[in-house]
Amino acid sequence: MTELRLVALAAEEGPFSAGTPLPRRLPPGRHGIPTNLVEEHQRLRLLAAMAEALGEHGYADVTTTHISERANVSTSTFYKHFGNLWDCLLAAYVAAADRLCAEIEGACAERGDEPEAVGESGALATGIDAALAFFAAEPELGQLLSAQAPREASALCAARRILISRLAAMLHRTRGADDDAPQPSGLDERLIDATLAFVNTRLSAGDAERLPELAPELVAILDRPRVAA
Amino acid sequence: MAMRQEACAAAGEALPIETTAPTPDSTVREGEMEGALQVIGEVGYRAASVRSVLEYSGGHRKQFYEHFESLEDCFAQAYEAWAKRLVLSVLEAAVSVEGWRAGVRAGLMKLFQTVVERPAIGRALFIEVHVAGGKALATHDEAVDRVADALDSVRNEIGPDDAPPSQTGLFVVGGIEVCVCDALADGDPNRIWDALPELMRLITVSYLDAQTAAEEAEAARAAVEEVRAKLEGGSR
Repeated sequence: MTELRLVALAAEEGPFSAGTPLPRRLPPGRHGIPTNLVEEHQRLRLLAAMAEALGEHGYADVTTTHISERANVSTSTFYKHFGNLWDCLLAAYVAAADRLCAEIEGACAERGDEPEAVGESGALATGIDAALAFFAAEPELGQLLSAQAPREASALCAARRILISRLAAMLHRTRGADDDAPQPSGLDERLIDATLAFVNTRLSAGDAERLPELAPELVAILDRPRVAA
Repeated sequence: MAMRQEACAAAGEALPIETTAPTPDSTVREGEMEGALQVIGEVGYRAASVRSVLEYSGGHRKQFYEHFESLEDCFAQAYEAWAKRLVLSVLEAAVSVEGWRAGVRAGLMKLFQTVVERPAIGRALFIEVHVAGGKALATHDEAVDRVADALDSVRNEIGPDDAPPSQTGLFVVGGIEVCVCDALADGDPNRIWDALPELMRLITVSYLDAQTAAEEAEAARAAVEEVRAKLEGGSR
């Protein structure tokens, strides 16, 4: 199940303080929770439900009803938050992209070094390990981030390019310490494009759990431009 | 370093072309399949219907359902037929020239040419297949494996110390697909030619070395200029 955590608008204390996992639904009746918190809670549930419903029904069949039911809200509540299915999809994509980047950056920071300082392929391996662990733990979010979007979700293409640029910048930084020469323009982005497509193939084949085993292969592939120079 | 004929021939064998003479009924069926790909590429898989396919291809609803169980079935069968043809035409282009790099470049240029000429079909084959899933997606994955195997033929020319990782072929094909999808989603399929030099650099550096990859990027750039010159000459 996609994890829900309240990261904003939360009171410092109380049942829904920042960072605590959220329940799938709020307590019934008068609970005294501020309206803005209730709405944020609904929105987060809808974003999680979007990825889950997509995983279950696929782009061909997923509907706003599937999402609302999973999020335990009415369809009218869905439309209070999002104009249509594709708006919800875009918001879910952006949230998932932020989480992926945060996982990678967090793993690199946990090593106690900036990526640049790790050198060789160490930072790259840390980043790849973190990304593949994320995809293995959250295969629906992995599918959302890596699959080609349908025609109706054209805004997703722009969001996807932003994610590719962020990941390509991270990849480029992993080479910063031992490669003074700038990489050819666009190569890092092409490498990330190919990585996401590769991940998508594995996820589509139902191999999410085995993704972390592919980390050494992916590191070797992504490190090849540096090694082959 | 030739792209080995046998690798491509093996891929071709597994993807045979129908050689039986067309009948009036098979021609209608073929038209319905092309219509399904065209319409799905134009309006998207979710919005397409049997009615919209028949508006494009002509023919009758009853006859359509004699050929296919559903639009999903029609798409899956159309996908299989057209993916076979596309893979074969790309591999044929690849083996028509000498050398692995030139072969990959020729194959990619054939792919790009097809996408530019039939962008709606391209969208159906590369983008909407992920929406449809099911049998069509399984066919897509098989085609990806075949192209990856053909690319991997260069391994025979590489020493064991320099051998690329085992998943390189699949990785590179993923990069090619994203490149095609981006150009198609952009709405200007001709933009795909801009991507050829960096794509060839990615493919070459994934198997060989950075110097060869830089040379290949230049060769691809020259090839793109030739294509553009021909296009401009043709449009005058």
